[in-house]
Amino acid sequence: MTSFALRRLASAVPTLLGVVVAAFLILNLLPSDPVLNWFPEGAAPSAEALERLRHELRSEEGPLARFASWGAALLRGDLGRSLVDGRPVGSVVAEALPWTLLLNLCALLAIYGLAVPFGVCGAASPGSIADRVGGWVLLLLYALPSFAAAVLLQEAFAVRLEILPLQGVAGLDAGAGLASRGLDLVRHLVLPTACLALSGWSFVARYTRSTFRSVLGREFLSVARAKGMSRPRAWRHVLANTAVPFVTLLGGIIPALVGGSLIVEHAFSWPGLGRLYVASVEGRDYPVVLGLTLLAALLVLGANLLVDLLYLAVDPRIRDAFLGERGDA
Amino acid sequence: MPEARRGTPRGRRAAVGLVLGLAAIGLLAPVLASERPLLARREGVLLCPALADLPLLGSLFDGPEVRSVDWEDPGPGTDVLLRAPVPYSYRGVRLGDALRPPGGGHLLGTDALGRDLLARLIHGTRPSLLVGFGATVAALLLGGFLGSSAALRGGLLDLLIIRVADVAACFPPFILALALTAALGHPGIGPMVAGIGLSRWTSVARYVRGEILRFKGGDLWASARASGASSRRLVLRHLLPLLAPPLAVMGAFGVAQAIIMESGLSFLGLGVAPPTPSWGTLLAEARGTLDAAWWPVVFPSAALLLALGALCLAADLSGAPARDEVGGLP
Repeated sequence: MTSFALRRLASAVPTLLGVVVAAFLILNLLPSDPVLNWFPEGAAPSAEALERLRHELRSEEGPLARFASWGAALLRGDLGRSLVDGRPVGSVVAEALPWTLLLNLCALLAIYGLAVPFGVCGAASPGSIADRVGGWVLLLLYALPSFAAAVLLQEAFAVRLEILPLQGVAGLDAGAGLASRGLDLVRHLVLPTACLALSGWSFVARYTRSTFRSVLGREFLSVARAKGMSRPRAWRHVLANTAVPFVTLLGGIIPALVGGSLIVEHAFSWPGLGRLYVASVEGRDYPVVLGLTLLAALLVLGANLLVDLLYLAVDPRIRDAFLGERGDA
Repeated sequence: MPEARRGTPRGRRAAVGLVLGLAAIGLLAPVLASERPLLARREGVLLCPALADLPLLGSLFDGPEVRSVDWEDPGPGTDVLLRAPVPYSYRGVRLGDALRPPGGGHLLGTDALGRDLLARLIHGTRPSLLVGFGATVAALLLGGFLGSSAALRGGLLDLLIIRVADVAACFPPFILALALTAALGHPGIGPMVAGIGLSRWTSVARYVRGEILRFKGGDLWASARASGASSRRLVLRHLLPLLAPPLAVMGAFGVAQAIIMESGLSFLGLGVAPPTPSWGTLLAEARGTLDAAWWPVVFPSAALLLALGALCLAADLSGAPARDEVGGLP
């Protein structure tokens, strides 16, 4: 098992290198001059300002030399400095990261916590009115983009009903008590979490339904029940047989959340990585854009790795196949 | 899993019809919503000013006399014979008409700058469909070509293509489109199509490669080979018809994803350039007047819901095996 994990990690190394090179290429090989792009259209920057920026971006060097110096700095954990305020990219990112993690964790919990029971109920009584209505509701939810949901929810809950805050993360000043500040944060979390979880929610629910349907219809279950297996025990077998698709699903949801946070954070002025990324693209802050692009790709790579390792944990067939192949079973 | 297929054939036909209808609205937008009349007589000559903005055919109806007249108030000597169904421009600011509620002259009301919402919705169909279909066709062509090359040639090329696909799949489409926007220095349709196409081709390539490898071991392959068919002929004449239905499902799903991404990027202000409306731009603008008006929020959302719902139904997502190949969420 450990050797499989090590081998899987080793096979990710070329992809990792490829991701690093690709992130650099995207932002360095296109036929546009980042130095000129940095200034607003129609501005006439002084020669001195141009020179300083050229030096900062090393744009007089060739791409290969730039890649070498950027890569060397990357190995030391240095992602360069933001063009906007001169702070290290690493600390700008570290400041925003906890907010994004908080939001994504809440969304992930909301997705699985709500969607799986919903899907299982649908699978347990297929064709019932609740199942059919649920199917249409899920289709509608799936088709509603997160930003449209964001604006609609803001209009309904923040502007018309005035029961939830419109945007941001805190409505109280630092003097308020810890409990009321915590409650305030939760209130600010509700709408962004709902928007981020929206498309994932219907995706997972539909997926759960079809996965459970396919397992519930199998012969081994009827045989086991006929031989007197108790209901809870039978459900354990069902769950064991549905674990693999759920792991696959996780590999699809994590990258989707990474992309989805961009819009939701922008819509709700959530001070996380997504808003930072959008602001950096708008402001042409190349070092930050490059750093965050790399970070997003690494997150996806990490999610794929995690999924492969989880397969091994949940499916004895995969484990046995591997161990058998290695001859040390 | 046949019982997992929820969309009835009739429902799917209706959904396909809806998608085609939206495409027609996008193509005919200049005729459907324009301040210029469809037919007018000026100094004894019949003109079709609204038709001048049509794609491809437009130049037939264009001319200096069409461009020089202010059609909102053409003055004497000009008779307007037939107006466009929605006789408003999607740009022109008219603050006097700002935030008119739905009904009356403006069927869906006006926005904060007094522009007709229905006209803007109709014209907003165009970037969505352009990016949606453009990026999906790009992804299908690129993925199909690279996937079949990898499977047919094998060896080093196969390894290389699979490795490149692994790397490309690590970049979420949204991130890739935004990074390209930043690198080009200006937002627009180009970076969007490129960003979505460059990250979406990988799932198509993997699917095509896997299917070809599967067929390579089968009887169909061997018998076609024995009768002297070349690899290219095998793929184009024998495999493509078999792969077409799942690829069509992937395509419809891809178009929906691309529309979500186009409107999302426009919502961020990093998509199509204003004055051109996109459904995402309309929603972004509506955020400024949340407390004063509901219609600028509700109608663009409904348009997106309708278009994406129809695409999802057309793809019959619930039972489609290809959905798992496509993977991600918006």
